[in-house]
Amino acid sequence: MPDTVIDSYKDQMERLAGSLPGWDSARAHAFDRLKNVGLPTTRSEDWRYSDIKSLRKVAFDPMQAPEATPDVPAALSDVAARLVFINGQYQEDLSDLGDLWQAASVRPLANHLMANTDRVTELNQGGDGVNLLNTALMRDGFVLSIPAGVEIDDPVEILHISSGANNAAAHIRHLVEMGEGASATVLERFVGDDSSYWVNSFLQARVTEGATLNHIRLQEEGPNATHTATAVVSVGAGGNYHATNISLGGLLSRFEARVRLLVDEANATVDGVALAGTGESHDMLVHVDHRMPNTTSDQIFRTVADARGKSSFQGKVTVAVGAQQVNADQSFKALLLDRTAEANAKPELEIFADDVKCSHGATVGELDDKALFYLTSRGIDPTTARQMLVEAFTDDAFDRTGSESLAEAIRSRVANWMLGHTVKEKVADD
Amino acid sequence: MLSVKDLHISVDDKEIIKGLSLEIKAGEVHAIMGLNGAGKSTLANTIAGRDDYEVTAGSIEFDGKDLQDLEPHERVGEGLFLGFQYPVEIPGVSNLNFMRTAVNGVRKYRGEDEMSAAEFMKLVRAKAAELKMDTEMLKRFVNVGFSGGEKKRNEMVQMAVLNPRLAVLDETDSGLDIDALKVVADGINAQRREDTAVLLITHYQRLLNYVQPDVVHVMIDGKIVKTGGPELAAELEEKGYAEVA
Repeated sequence: MPDTVIDSYKDQMERLAGSLPGWDSARAHAFDRLKNVGLPTTRSEDWRYSDIKSLRKVAFDPMQAPEATPDVPAALSDVAARLVFINGQYQEDLSDLGDLWQAASVRPLANHLMANTDRVTELNQGGDGVNLLNTALMRDGFVLSIPAGVEIDDPVEILHISSGANNAAAHIRHLVEMGEGASATVLERFVGDDSSYWVNSFLQARVTEGATLNHIRLQEEGPNATHTATAVVSVGAGGNYHATNISLGGLLSRFEARVRLLVDEANATVDGVALAGTGESHDMLVHVDHRMPNTTSDQIFRTVADARGKSSFQGKVTVAVGAQQVNADQSFKALLLDRTAEANAKPELEIFADDVKCSHGATVGELDDKALFYLTSRGIDPTTARQMLVEAFTDDAFDRTGSESLAEAIRSRVANWMLGHTVKEKVADD
Repeated sequence: MLSVKDLHISVDDKEIIKGLSLEIKAGEVHAIMGLNGAGKSTLANTIAGRDDYEVTAGSIEFDGKDLQDLEPHERVGEGLFLGFQYPVEIPGVSNLNFMRTAVNGVRKYRGEDEMSAAEFMKLVRAKAAELKMDTEMLKRFVNVGFSGGEKKRNEMVQMAVLNPRLAVLDETDSGLDIDALKVVADGINAQRREDTAVLLITHYQRLLNYVQPDVVHVMIDGKIVKTGGPELAAELEEKGYAEVA
């Protein structure tokens, strides 16, 4: 990476001094590490399927407030609260905390750090260059703390809108803390215009004993956007973390989930659907670390790729020494709509215990001609028939969103996406 | 209603149907009988428009329209139905959604308004009850986990819901126990009217004991070699294909 790129990030960082209480030294520390490791390249195993050379060539400016307020899309379902960010910055007037503030603590990162100076150390500095840059340059984000025993039924939606942000980036940090026995659904949704922006999001979650967090990510970035996201999650005894990542937009997107199952009976499910349109690349990487016995995890990933589209999945499961009676399953299926489409799958198991059950399966295929003919032979036109088959193909991955109305809304977006990608006749035999 | 003239069909450059002609009028039930490999399924699939089957000569007309000009779903819109020998399993698509999309696809082709969900449910429940299909099966994925008999019964429910003018039923009787066979026969007989026609394609005479055909054809090696009345089926059963043909 050219020094000039690093140096301009240093300038950006210095301009942020004092903006987040107690965070300046962490920024500087992360920046020093970034200088050593640089931004990731495809030579790094975790980044082999995502080539972010456009991010390494030039420094992205910090996103500024857009000249005009962009349209704010309607919520996908009933929500408990709605937090709206435009170009990386929280918009109090567009947000609606509903009654959530009465039941839980929900406040901007800066306020959280101001009130709890000692808790600055809980913020994760991250592993790779993209995380480190987030740590060095983050400006805003939210801290959501659900107290013990509190159950929030409707999703808490965090909406990110990027607008008029050519060659600009937003580095966002959210924290979610689930008290013992608490439950909530957090929906992160990303939308944007056709400018070539970069959203670099980092979410940390702590799911304590008996708590449940449903984490849904709906990535609908603009067509020229780069989207990199990391979720770092720890799960306590009997706790559940359910993630569903849906990648529909952007030119290049990558989501990495790192989940540690720290105590007996902790459970994690990480599911995902990626629909890669023409020339797009979607990458999903999951690492579930079973630290203790009797922990369980399951991953279901379904991807679809159109012409020159690329969908990739790396699923890593590690089972620590002595972590017996672990159950870990993983299923990846890719559907290619065109001969030039690409699917990559890399399951990885590292097991240091001898009494465990781990399974994984990966398939890559095309739409089933027999099923297609069966549907059309009943009077269903070929476009609708393909749409039905793709919806059916992705459906397994939406079973654990924790909200049926939200799952419905997401299914209809998958169907809409398919409308733009079903015009071609079958590609199997030409 | 269906007029097939000197039809030749190839699959992977191999000729399977070698000059077949057939006339079916409204109100008639025809049976084509033949051994495995005679080309019966090739004929049925070609009528329905499966694209691996290439018509190299001859014609298939349905009510004066050249079927080769029509896509499979358009043929259904015109009033054609193919009952599959091996109904396809489609995980992730519910039977109800499948049938409702089919009904509305046909209505769209005909320039009619979509059927409301309530109206459709009424129709499908009535047809399922007539064919003694458990309504729970309507909610399940298309044919997934269905027994052979349940799959064929499901074909009959689809046929009843779509109400075609010409039903081509490819070995609909194969693999059925006697109870299932009777249900399938009831479904076919219910579809038998003055303005409709049925083409049964079968290996055995069994089904014809319950659905009396008007015309029976014997098919050997891609051609119809003999045509007669219902007595021909009994004769085949008794003497075998070699002797009759």
